[in-house]
Amino acid sequence: MSMSDNISTILASGIRLSLPLAFAACGEYLAERAGTLNISIEGMMLGAAFASIATASMTGSASVGLLAGAVVGLLIGVVHGNLSHRIEINTFVVGLVINALVLGLTSYLITISEFDTHQVAQVGIPVLRDIPIVGEALFVGRWPAFLILAIVPLTWWLVERSRWGLELRAVGENAQAADVTGIKVNKRRRQALMWCGVLAGLGGAYLAVGEVGSFNQNMTAGRGYLVIAAVIFGAWRLKRTLVGCALFGLADAMRLALPALGVTLNSQLLIVAPYLLALLTMLLFAAQHREPRSLGQPFERGTA
Amino acid sequence: MTLTERTEQPAGTRRPALRLRGIRKAYGPVVACDAVDLTVHTGEIHGLLGENGAGKSTLMKILLGLVPRDDGLILHHGRPVAIASPHEAMALGLGMVHQHFSLIGPLTVWENVILGDSGRIDRAEACAQVETIGKRYGLPVDPTTRVDRLSAGERQRVELIKCLRRDPSVLILDEPTSVLTQAESAELFTVLRRLVQTEERAVILISHKLAEITTATDRVTVLRRGRVVFEARTRQTSPQELARQMVGREVSLRAEGAALGLGALPVDGPEGTAAAEPATAPDPAVPATPTTTSEPAALRLRDVTVTVGGITVLDQLNLDVRAGEIVGLYGVEGNGQATLGDLLCGLVVPAAGTVELAGAPVDLTRPGALHRAGLGIVPEDRHRSGVVLDMSVAENLAMKSLGDVSGRMLLSRRKMHAVAQRLAAEFNIVTPSMDTPVRSLSGGNQQRVVLAREMSANPAVLVAAQPTRGLDVGAIEDMYQRLNRAAADGVAVLLISTELEEVMALASRIAVISAGRITGVLPTREATAERLGMLVGGVTG
Amino acid sequence: MNGRQAADGTGRRILARLAPGPANWRVVGVTILAVAAALGLSALLIAVTGGSPVASVQALFQGSMADPTAWSSTLLFTAPLLLVALGVCVSARSGFFNLGQEGQVLIGAMAATWVALRLAIPGPVLLVVTFLVAALAAGAWAGLSSLMYRFRGVNVVVSTMLMTFLAQQLVAYMVTTPWLLQESRIGTGTVSPQSNKVPANALLGSVGEYPNLQLNAGLLLALATAVAVAVVLTRTRWGFRLKMVGLNPVTAESAGVRVAALGGFALAVSGALAGLAGAVLLTSPVGTNRLQAGISNNIGWDGLLVALVARNRPLVAIPVAVLFGVLRSGGGFLAATGVPPFLVDVVKALLVLAFVAPPVVMNLISRRSTGRAGRIVSTPARVPEEAVA
Repeated sequence: MSMSDNISTILASGIRLSLPLAFAACGEYLAERAGTLNISIEGMMLGAAFASIATASMTGSASVGLLAGAVVGLLIGVVHGNLSHRIEINTFVVGLVINALVLGLTSYLITISEFDTHQVAQVGIPVLRDIPIVGEALFVGRWPAFLILAIVPLTWWLVERSRWGLELRAVGENAQAADVTGIKVNKRRRQALMWCGVLAGLGGAYLAVGEVGSFNQNMTAGRGYLVIAAVIFGAWRLKRTLVGCALFGLADAMRLALPALGVTLNSQLLIVAPYLLALLTMLLFAAQHREPRSLGQPFERGTA
Repeated sequence: MTLTERTEQPAGTRRPALRLRGIRKAYGPVVACDAVDLTVHTGEIHGLLGENGAGKSTLMKILLGLVPRDDGLILHHGRPVAIASPHEAMALGLGMVHQHFSLIGPLTVWENVILGDSGRIDRAEACAQVETIGKRYGLPVDPTTRVDRLSAGERQRVELIKCLRRDPSVLILDEPTSVLTQAESAELFTVLRRLVQTEERAVILISHKLAEITTATDRVTVLRRGRVVFEARTRQTSPQELARQMVGREVSLRAEGAALGLGALPVDGPEGTAAAEPATAPDPAVPATPTTTSEPAALRLRDVTVTVGGITVLDQLNLDVRAGEIVGLYGVEGNGQATLGDLLCGLVVPAAGTVELAGAPVDLTRPGALHRAGLGIVPEDRHRSGVVLDMSVAENLAMKSLGDVSGRMLLSRRKMHAVAQRLAAEFNIVTPSMDTPVRSLSGGNQQRVVLAREMSANPAVLVAAQPTRGLDVGAIEDMYQRLNRAAADGVAVLLISTELEEVMALASRIAVISAGRITGVLPTREATAERLGMLVGGVTG
Repeated sequence: MNGRQAADGTGRRILARLAPGPANWRVVGVTILAVAAALGLSALLIAVTGGSPVASVQALFQGSMADPTAWSSTLLFTAPLLLVALGVCVSARSGFFNLGQEGQVLIGAMAATWVALRLAIPGPVLLVVTFLVAALAAGAWAGLSSLMYRFRGVNVVVSTMLMTFLAQQLVAYMVTTPWLLQESRIGTGTVSPQSNKVPANALLGSVGEYPNLQLNAGLLLALATAVAVAVVLTRTRWGFRLKMVGLNPVTAESAGVRVAALGGFALAVSGALAGLAGAVLLTSPVGTNRLQAGISNNIGWDGLLVALVARNRPLVAIPVAVLFGVLRSGGGFLAATGVPPFLVDVVKALLVLAFVAPPVVMNLISRRSTGRAGRIVSTPARVPEEAVA
């Protein structure tokens, strides 16, 4: 294989690996801007991955599976939102419990069930796919991959330009003041978590019915935490968050591809690279205070 | 929502814009509002007066749809309305200018202004509206600035613009002058006057400052313990009458009067201060002047400079307090008092300058050093830095002197209780038991816990920062007595206050703080409104 | 960031929320109902998926409590779970929410392995040194998070969580690198990604002689630690100050407590206790006595759940840790009845929810009905108003 073939392969695989992260990161970004540091995103992705394969297996349609994944993500978002922003159980506790529950439940169910392999159709954009090196990576893929082209601008528009997004940001920055202004703080946070669930669900489902075609136990293997790291790496800005996802996907692709190319690079180092990057970002840019100020703080009326 | 031009009507056309009839609200067994009637007419500024806990804020929350009422009728221009949500209140044209917690710092002015609306966002239109309203009412502010870059006065303008943009028929202002200088307050009242006279609006002005109520309002309603006890035209009543109605009994024109903001008082302050005041001590008009007495000042701040986030909050501040005197540090909120309080709590380390107690500089980088050196402090925000709400009365009383309540290894609950019992008796702390969490005590009793703990260490210096804020009149009187007694016992007392009347009544000298500097120190008897006004405005005296 | 700011708000809020309210029989009643519901849901899951709930309960019981051998296995799991949970109690007191126990357990196990294999210390002294170094290493690991918070303001929840992934890969690297801790090659045999077996004088023995029942010294260590932690937290000046820092760091600081140092130290102590759990996992017969990438086996996460259920009370954590030990050792027996052992993870998660939710819900209900402000008054260490003016 030529050098450019290798680069092309790694690039293509890097993009495929970063897509599940990118879908989920759009959701996590939005939830964090509204003030929820959502660690149940891992459970959302895992639950959705399982649901997509199970549904695809039952209906025979991978696309229906994808939809089912988004719905399960939404459901987990609804549960998390109600437990932490209605009943007011601490959001980290809720996240831990949801992740443990989803991991246990999917592991349990996959052990006693048999599912067929299902994968959504691959599409390529004519002409553009023939561009050397990047053509294969950017213009060929499973069709849901191209949804990201709509979801990223939509997320940006929702957060930065819509009234809903203005209210989300207000809630994330100063929940007490937002409440006084007449914004329903907990309702907005629940809505943000629902949107986060849909996107994380898409990400998890894309991983299962998009890339792999099957489900195995603990399939997401910490990708949800990787998404949180991406948002931190992105310092709560969408563009940088997506750059983070791309970097993390590439690191993963290199880890998988390098041994075959005869390059020895420590695989553990590539695995931890995203987490290290996130930590370093926080250490280096902590002074900028880009973090939403109410992040992770529960809201109760009359606590300020 | 657009800004409609209202047809101008001659002032004096009096129709009730808002009528409240028999409003009742109870929180469990506590009745916050009991059969409250309130009538506010278009074209008037209506003062709402009452002590803390009298039910003012509950009433306003009901009016704004933040709290549901248990009973009662609200008539808006004669029509009964429900007001079940803030949006409904907004749609009816009830607007509130909040004092705290309502602007979001990282958002821009225009974003803050349109927060709470509905529908699409139009940035250009929002900016234009901010500018139009600003021009119309003399409230200039740049719509694209982030709010956290604005000064307190500018933020208040944003609040007003935000409210006026919704074209409110009734405008509610909650303690609007606490962060403003006298000049800024006067400007605000001019704007309000124009609003009601030329634009057919009504204003409800909530205040605890009698002087403000009597100068700025047309009618006044006094609430006491959830009930309306008095209603009159402002012109036909007097501050004394209002004070009497507010408290429910005759008010002496001494400390108590000061607690209610009853104007500046005759000079011969309350007993205690006068006696303790060293007759021969020169009153340095310039703070840096060294004392001529051989005795070093009990507390001396020397060139104290504090910067927070690159901003100089205290700027080479100099201040002396001698044993046995009460020095009042007076100024408008937000001029560095909070930081000075934090500094004397040991929470802030100055970038430059020293704090000296009895002539010896204190190493402020060491936690608890001020306490050990003999400084006691009643902090401005006791919930933040005075008590631990979820710990018991006994624990809160013992927390600065754990050594006294310990055995060799372990804490002794028995000793802790004994100390607590003694202090509770001495300082009249009313509590079901020493194990009760401080959270469930009244504000006055929480404040007594703080004072008891600080006084139990026999301090040479006592700092009291806004010590009466949020207390009822009884507790305020008690606090004044204790401060006077401390001074009489030879303690150097520094009273940090935004209440001019309080400072005038208690202090023998008044230091004025403005923009983090002491702009002048005056003996209380020489303090006139004009001189203080100049100093507060930053003109060095 | 001047390092004198107050402890992380997150943990303080959690602490305030989880703090035991006045003993309330209604809460107890609702909790019992919730636990019954959690167990009922689990049974339903088994039944729907074609298993037998009764058989599953029997298997769980068989594997964990039926006889002394089963109890031995249960208690072997109890010890590390309890140690981790005690660590959570300490850090939660100080207002920090440590989410990195899993990684701290691994670091403890790794350091213990290194000492046990590399230091030629004779006799039982080796065991003592092993445990000490495990605690120190994991304490330092957690201490990194407190340093990052103190000097750069990095959120502790996030940093401890991210550090877990670093720890996992660090241990993986250690056991796959021959010159570090990977097992020695004997002849031409293959080597696995694991360390050599630790020497016999670094193993925790059983205490006392009972027929079929093994009481491992690790359990005694954990129980003694529980009592010690309880006494230190409730009866000493240090514990008093820690509580102040957790409930109101600003007041604590003005009362002369070195808030940042004390809070950071508490976080390190919590890491150290997790490290001890790692050493127990390595040296007690619960595993293979070798360092493997999976040696922590979710003990860190489960220990965190134990503390959540116990509401950060050290002595309450003892029975809860036993319960979680029961689920772990019983889970192994489930497979025999055709029910995947993952079921216990589902049961665990539902149980945690059943214990955590009722007090919060009841508190909420009582707050809503009286309309009083919440139990928590936020005291953020924020920049004074005038600073931004």
